[in-house]
Amino acid sequence: MSTTDEVLRDEVQTWLSENWRPEIAEALANEPYNWETSPERKAWLSLVLEGRWSVPRWPQEWYGRGLEDKQAKIIEREFARVRAPGTGQDRMNLWANTLLTGGTQGLKEQLISRLLTNDVNMCLLYSEPGAGSDLAGIRTRADRQGDHYVVNGQKVWTSGAAVADFGMLIARTDWDVPKHKGISFFFCPMKQPGIEVRPLRQITNESHFNEVFITDAIVPAENLLGPLNSGWQVLNTALAYERSSMGEGARGPRSGVKEASNEEPLVALAREAGRLEEPALRQDIAQAIAYKKLNALNAARGKADLKQGTSSAVMSLGKLAMSRILHEEARIRTEILGAQSLLEGEDYPRAEDANFLSLNAYFTSIGGGTDQIQRNIIGERVLGLPKEPEVDKTIPFRDVRTS
Amino acid sequence: MNTLSGEERAALRDSVHRLLQDQSSEAAVRAVMETDSGYDPALWQRLAEMGVVGLIIDEAHGGSGVGPMELEAVMEEAGAALLCAPLLATVVAVKLLQALGDEAATERLLPAIASGETIATAVLTGDAGSWTEEGVGITANQSNGQYQLEGRGNYVLHGQNADLLIVIARSGEGLGAYLLESGAQGVSVGALPTFDHTQRLAAVTFSGAVAEPLNSKMPVWEAVRAAMDLGLVALAGEQAGGAQRVLDFTVEYAKTRIQFGRQIGSFQAIKHMAADLLLETESAVSAARNAAERLAGGAEKTDEAISLAAFACADAFVKTAADGVQMHGGIAFTWEHPAHLYLKRARADAQLLGTPAYHRERYLQALGA
Repeated sequence: MSTTDEVLRDEVQTWLSENWRPEIAEALANEPYNWETSPERKAWLSLVLEGRWSVPRWPQEWYGRGLEDKQAKIIEREFARVRAPGTGQDRMNLWANTLLTGGTQGLKEQLISRLLTNDVNMCLLYSEPGAGSDLAGIRTRADRQGDHYVVNGQKVWTSGAAVADFGMLIARTDWDVPKHKGISFFFCPMKQPGIEVRPLRQITNESHFNEVFITDAIVPAENLLGPLNSGWQVLNTALAYERSSMGEGARGPRSGVKEASNEEPLVALAREAGRLEEPALRQDIAQAIAYKKLNALNAARGKADLKQGTSSAVMSLGKLAMSRILHEEARIRTEILGAQSLLEGEDYPRAEDANFLSLNAYFTSIGGGTDQIQRNIIGERVLGLPKEPEVDKTIPFRDVRTS
Repeated sequence: MNTLSGEERAALRDSVHRLLQDQSSEAAVRAVMETDSGYDPALWQRLAEMGVVGLIIDEAHGGSGVGPMELEAVMEEAGAALLCAPLLATVVAVKLLQALGDEAATERLLPAIASGETIATAVLTGDAGSWTEEGVGITANQSNGQYQLEGRGNYVLHGQNADLLIVIARSGEGLGAYLLESGAQGVSVGALPTFDHTQRLAAVTFSGAVAEPLNSKMPVWEAVRAAMDLGLVALAGEQAGGAQRVLDFTVEYAKTRIQFGRQIGSFQAIKHMAADLLLETESAVSAARNAAERLAGGAEKTDEAISLAAFACADAFVKTAADGVQMHGGIAFTWEHPAHLYLKRARADAQLLGTPAYHRERYLQALGA
């Protein structure tokens, strides 16, 4: 470690020892889980921002320190050592990074510090009922009127829309050019009369997502990110970020039944059901655990490659791997339970888990791009296979066929 | 044992890659697989000179003195090139000798193995082909201070090419390890007709053959286990390397083959198979390297990593080679196309030193279940 690195490390350590007080740590550890950030967390994130630790890789003028990745990692390590959150947002804060890259001066001044302190709630206004896998087929429109845009259309699969202050919106701003070339990217204010949020009921009987109906909603012109009609490029940067994070984890059982040991959950379940000695089941369980372990090994190898400056194919595989893991685990849980999986309700927590996980596995295999879209991406961008001919690629969007 | 730096390992791998590109081309593989011995003695000599034959033999005994990670890296290249040679046989035999730890025997035998002068192989399993303790097919009877072997060892790697046999046999005192020359009286080596023409197997029958008992510093089956575990890491490397090569040439074909006026790789039916195979091959590489790293690091419990690599790499190679044939279509149904050579190697590799199902069971047991 060089002298400057040591000075930096000492500075972080000193700062953390002075500011990361036990009562703050405790308050943050006991936060309830919901879409809104607790006042304690906001206060802590503000301290981190004042200390210029939130986004050390960013330039000075935007709360950063202009540090190299290696030095920023030193800061992240020190924060992680004491389990303090808030740094590394230059890598992980989707909203802030998107805004920094594409936002106007005015919008950045208005929102960046608030995004870094979770003082604004955000949501994604991408998918539409008629544009899922074919996201560039969106029909929500934004029309310029004086100093603002007027937006009309319908969005879907929006998490957190009910409490959001802004949504990252893609909308069509030119209908006479091919579909990818007439899309723009906005920060759309959500708390206005033109925005109506309705919860969607999912197959799991939960409601994490919403439909958003947009009628003559107003978006200030300075909320446009990137040049007009270049929204597809802004979007792709944001999407790559979202997909990479989906290979790393997923929700576990909903029931909150605590496993008695550190045993693999499938092993524990089979043991409890008295079926751990069945050879066929043991083969299935071993294979499911192996898929999970192999995905972890791939991720570790990908990260090691990145550290050495070589990019690795394995990083693109996590989401697809995770789909298989979740579907397989849920299938085997169901297999172990047998007839009990016919039941639901709090008296049958094992059945609840198996049935919930069987359904929620689609969250990963459909959400954020279906497995099929993911295979296209791997085939085309990693293996270099040619794209399918696209019949709507070069014609004006106005003339594209719809269902 | 030394573990090389990442750069040194890459250099070793690269030199093996270049040698095999030159000496183990598809044409060379096809030529040598039709010979009786099934390997090219000149290439074997080159590999010995490069230190590959004696890779895991310590420098004092004329070897390279490196460990599982280097072995795994070399085996990825061997698998990619479908190298026809008694490399796996050598790895298992050498590791068995090392694990037994009979110093007089290692002093005497290892230098000749490292130089390529002597080929050694281990006789571990009988007709059951299970590579388990129960599957040992030979008994050792003691009379007049001599040990005589009776019975049949099966699926012996390159048995027909070996000068030296290390035999695991059961006597009244339990399992023991015995040494004898393959030409000794009472030894009959019969080449087996292998489905995979790029590998050689033999059945070795013993009828009263006199063998030298080897000392062992650990229970003999533990030494066999250590030898097979290193063999499995080598095999996992071979499988990962083979799978990657199949995927590479299959993707290449999908970019150049035109049907319906377009490259077949542009069809999602093909593209999605390729994407799935990338997940299989990359997982195999991760598993093989992880097992090698765990073994090299002297981890106390390596069962989990090794058994995972064993079945993940075996299954990945079989799936990649099998789907590779399918994705090519008719051309890969011909003898002239190399895809079937990889499929046959993959199917053979998946049976050696325990089946994938055996290793899945072992994996679960290693996890405490």
